[in-house]
Amino acid sequence: MISPSALPTIPTIDPNPLPAPYWVLKLLLVATFYLHILAMNLMLGGAALALLARLTSKGNPMRGRIFVDVAKKVPTLLAATITLGIAPLLFVQVIYGQYFYTSTILIAWPWFLVLALLVAAYYGFYYVAYNGKRRPGAAGMVLFVSLALVMLIGFIYTNNFTLMQTPARWAAKYFAAPSGWSLNLADPTLIPRYLHFMTAAVAVGGLLLVLLALARWKHDREYAEYIFQFGGKAFQFATMAQFLVGVWFLISLPRDLRMIFMGDNPVATAMFGTGVLGALASIFLMSEALRKQNIRMAAFGVTGITAVVILCMSIMRDNLRDAYLKPYFQPNQFAVKTQWAVFPLFLGIFVGGVILWLVMLKRYGLFTSTRPTEE
Amino acid sequence: MNYPVWDVLFGSGLLIALVAGLHVFVSHFAVGGGLFLVLTERKARRANDPALLNWLKAHTRFFVLLTVVFGAVSGVGIWFTIGLISPSATSDLIHIFVWGWAIEWVAFFIEISAALLYLYGWDKLPPKLHEWYGWIYFLAAFFSLVVINGIITFMLTPGSWIDVHKFWIGFFNPTYLPSAFFRTAICLALAGIYALITASVQKDAELKARIVRWGAMWTVPSLIALVPLGWWYIHEIPASLFLSARGPMPTATHFASSAWILLAVTFVLMLLAVFTPRRLHLVFAVVVALVALGAMDSFEFVREDVRKPFVIENYLYDNSLYASSMPGDGGFTVDNLSSVGVLHAAHWINQRAITAGNQVEVGHEIFRVECQSCHTPDAYRGIHQLIEQRQWNPATVSAMLTGLSLMHNGVMPPFAGTDAERGALAAYLNSLQTITPNPATFTNGKLMFENHCSMCHQDRPDDPLFTGLDPNPQVAADSLKDLTSLFPLMPDIKLNQTQRTSLVHWLNTQRPAGKPGAASSSATQGGN
Repeated sequence: MISPSALPTIPTIDPNPLPAPYWVLKLLLVATFYLHILAMNLMLGGAALALLARLTSKGNPMRGRIFVDVAKKVPTLLAATITLGIAPLLFVQVIYGQYFYTSTILIAWPWFLVLALLVAAYYGFYYVAYNGKRRPGAAGMVLFVSLALVMLIGFIYTNNFTLMQTPARWAAKYFAAPSGWSLNLADPTLIPRYLHFMTAAVAVGGLLLVLLALARWKHDREYAEYIFQFGGKAFQFATMAQFLVGVWFLISLPRDLRMIFMGDNPVATAMFGTGVLGALASIFLMSEALRKQNIRMAAFGVTGITAVVILCMSIMRDNLRDAYLKPYFQPNQFAVKTQWAVFPLFLGIFVGGVILWLVMLKRYGLFTSTRPTEE
Repeated sequence: MNYPVWDVLFGSGLLIALVAGLHVFVSHFAVGGGLFLVLTERKARRANDPALLNWLKAHTRFFVLLTVVFGAVSGVGIWFTIGLISPSATSDLIHIFVWGWAIEWVAFFIEISAALLYLYGWDKLPPKLHEWYGWIYFLAAFFSLVVINGIITFMLTPGSWIDVHKFWIGFFNPTYLPSAFFRTAICLALAGIYALITASVQKDAELKARIVRWGAMWTVPSLIALVPLGWWYIHEIPASLFLSARGPMPTATHFASSAWILLAVTFVLMLLAVFTPRRLHLVFAVVVALVALGAMDSFEFVREDVRKPFVIENYLYDNSLYASSMPGDGGFTVDNLSSVGVLHAAHWINQRAITAGNQVEVGHEIFRVECQSCHTPDAYRGIHQLIEQRQWNPATVSAMLTGLSLMHNGVMPPFAGTDAERGALAAYLNSLQTITPNPATFTNGKLMFENHCSMCHQDRPDDPLFTGLDPNPQVAADSLKDLTSLFPLMPDIKLNQTQRTSLVHWLNTQRPAGKPGAASSSATQGGN
């Protein structure tokens, strides 16, 4: 049942069988990671653009408004990021526990400190949301600190998830320092991979502003047009920058892994092609939308394309992990014993939960134009 | 040893205690406080009490900022922390209960969403609809509690899951119900205790008094209910496990007393608050909360302690060895390690052979994979202190390692490994000593007992040490020459003539008058 590991340090898989077929868990992992990363992008990008607006708000009251307006959304988006992050964290442990726990222990202190950093950043964002208008100076500083903290958390995550897929690095790292203070700084993909995520977040943060513009389009046109331009341009610049960062990331990968996106793996190649074309298309469509002041084209068209692009990227990320782990990890290594006594219950509760959630939003008025503006 | 061990100088267990100890105090408030919000809102609206409603609005913000931020992050934090410290156990719990966790996640998602909508909806929603969000919030939070409860209680009393490996058998295990009721009572009690905090800063003394009395109606009956519920809970825990909290295991015993004492103190403080509700001061409210925190964490410590030496009772030891061999165990069982050796079986050992020069280093590595999930060399549960306090010499240390599973009502796993590996571990442990054992203590029978016997034996007339000892002092002293002949699992500690005589002398002074030791029945001490 257990395939012999190529490295003695790779842990034996858990003796308890998978409670559902591998593909079900993989699907849930990728799907929930996708939702998590969307929320993360909105949160981090929103915070970054709110800070940018604050820093450039001198003599520009519109920018001051953007700062207050967007900063109010960040705590809720962070709540979404965390809540949606729990599911992929669960499923990654089900499938990749051998790798995930090990790399986590090697960088234990930074990983543990994520908790403290997150609580601090979270309270900071709430401070900004409640005090942005009354004390913009202090709130701007706090926003800077909170943003820096969530970016640091992202960096720790990138360290963990790159280290997780390179088991050959583990032993030397651990036996040199079992106290858990390591990171994965020697990995050449670390920085470009991290920047790839951060740049994406700024682009998606731009789309958050576009969506806010849409919500205010009828009632507050002047401001809505302003944040449309601000957010739309941020999206364009970040997405253009992404081509540079993306190329850097791609060439930082070992050749055999890079090639999975260039023919070696048909799925990965298709996702890569779709992602690149989609990103290009979204830049042109956004520039059209900005030129024509067509908010719907940006809010639905560009956002729709970007949602597809991010889905492609999430799948590519998973393809890349499997390519890294190919020498050690085979999906057929698992014993599977589907828990039919509870799995359907989960599906039922999940569907029921989604319906209830939508009803909650609907009754609150979030789907109607007369929705209450949030405090 | 399947996974690397995170080497935390001051003891990794303290990190779990820190994160979990604070989390439970907020997460139970998140459940009870939810019901408190919605019922208080209804009460205030029915009584047309705008002052109470205004306070409740502020209390909601306090509630959300505490539970949604700290409560949620620290909850994920427990998971982060146990994954770092007990990866095998975390992996087992994840694999056994994936769909339980996933169901809980759905509830959590609804809970957080409802909490935010309830907070933001105070001034925007019609009262009925606003209360509807409050109810959704509470029900989701309570549902999340009853799901997690199944997994937490499973760790202490997996019951027949051990044999059948079926989800619902493990989930609805023997302590599921008492724990669910017990924790629900804690939730309701905390709702009133936290209300004291925001009530105490109200300037309107009349309003403050109303809130304190209303809060006490939640807390006082719940605290009283905790007594029979606690008794029920204890009753459902196998007596052999709970015995640890009745003397043999110092920490569990200590926390069991402090849980009851602090519960009583919380009760008294709450009554004091009710008698002088207008004068309630923030400091007093915080003191009540801290005492309640102490009571609650004491309970959690007892629950964790009586489970030892297991993380999952009868299934997985604290040091990640499986209790018995099974398919897929990776060879991580005591039996297998004792036959093939730790150095051969462990994945995260650097030195695979013992030589004349590396005994201490290898011993350190064995210590890390076998002992460090609970002990540190020099800090929390520090071996250095344990050895020095007991004045053990190297031979005693080595002998004691054979009897680990008998100590303190069996709270430690047996040493797993070959004799040579045990020797290496002993060499490492001895290297931690900074003093030379003082021979003077060997002539004091009481100290002899405390330092060499009290880990397994209790100073009680019914302990086999008393019942099994020959009434003739000379014969008794001679019988201690070879301890393993008295009971094969006893550590083979070599006591000299003086030590044996002084020990027997003291033991005889402890015997109840007129009750000379019965004929040797030491074989019955196996359950100790």
